[in-house]
Amino acid sequence: MERKPEWLRVRYNQEAVDEVAALMKELKLNTVCKEASCPNLGECYRKHTATFMILGSECTRNCRFCNVTPGHPLPPDPDEPENVAAAAKKLGLRHVVLTCPTRDDLPDGGAAQFARTVEAIRAACPGTTAETLISDMKMNTDALDVVIAARPEVLNHNVETVEELQKAVRPQADYRRSLSVLRYCKEKAPEMLTKTGFMVGLGETEEQISRLMDDVLAVGCDILTIGQYLQPSKEHYPLARYATPEDFARYKDMALKKGFRYVASAPLARSSYRAWEALEGVQ
Amino acid sequence: MEKQIAMPKLREEMTKGVLCAWLKEEGETVEAGEPLYEIETDKVVNQIEATERGVLKRQLLEEGDEAAPGAPVAILETE
Repeated sequence: MERKPEWLRVRYNQEAVDEVAALMKELKLNTVCKEASCPNLGECYRKHTATFMILGSECTRNCRFCNVTPGHPLPPDPDEPENVAAAAKKLGLRHVVLTCPTRDDLPDGGAAQFARTVEAIRAACPGTTAETLISDMKMNTDALDVVIAARPEVLNHNVETVEELQKAVRPQADYRRSLSVLRYCKEKAPEMLTKTGFMVGLGETEEQISRLMDDVLAVGCDILTIGQYLQPSKEHYPLARYATPEDFARYKDMALKKGFRYVASAPLARSSYRAWEALEGVQ
Repeated sequence: MEKQIAMPKLREEMTKGVLCAWLKEEGETVEAGEPLYEIETDKVVNQIEATERGVLKRQLLEEGDEAAPGAPVAILETE
């Protein structure tokens, strides 16, 4: 294995991880932290924070960058919304991020479960803000309307990579469709913050990155996250390069100059990493 | 009291971890929360923290050694 660059070092404390993992197990919940083998799991669990992955742990798509297991997911768990709310309360979360595997098997893409979970969090934890990191829901506007009606403070949907690499990296998704999702949500609820993210290190050029920023800004996106692609295994999409912290600083500068309201850009920045900081940064 | 430190399971699919560096020598004191050794996984290098204060009595693996999750990594002498 090639030695990792100095800036890809993370801390891991078994006791802290066990504590949050036990809570999730008790409430039959999944976190994307665990399912995606997120390198920040140690830090986030230690801070008693996590990103809930509702609607199961198996995905109906098979993106080449992602560690979530492809398969045939089970029907939504009717107890999940309340269980997420209970976990959020126990962890004392001020901002809850919900995400899901893509559920192309469900007519609403899982929208109702998102809405119910946001509502359950609002009921159990007054004052807590919610962020829904959704799939493209096949750009089904009825489904998106259900999520929007729950009024999450942040509606997040990732474009993941530049337009030129979409087919190779996320073959069952579509760049233009993802932009449509972001545009639709913003037009429907202009006061709701929209957010997207992409990875670097897949082989994209600086010019393509710049165009991606222009495209997501043009659909009204408020918050942008930029992080290093880390290959989950040798079977996943090959890593082209490690961008340096200086590269990330340059992307951040570029994005802020273009007009984003908040930008998180760092090697280990992730879509939901320190998500409350983005929300506070905009408000 | 002697306590054995085991290789953590850093991800669900992990069948073995490579100890790439020791951050404490035998005989050195480590505080709870202080990193003791590093394990490289596919994505990153993980600095594994001691969960309690103690003296690192023995390093049971050498740098570059592989071990399965749960396998002994070190002996810590705690108070």
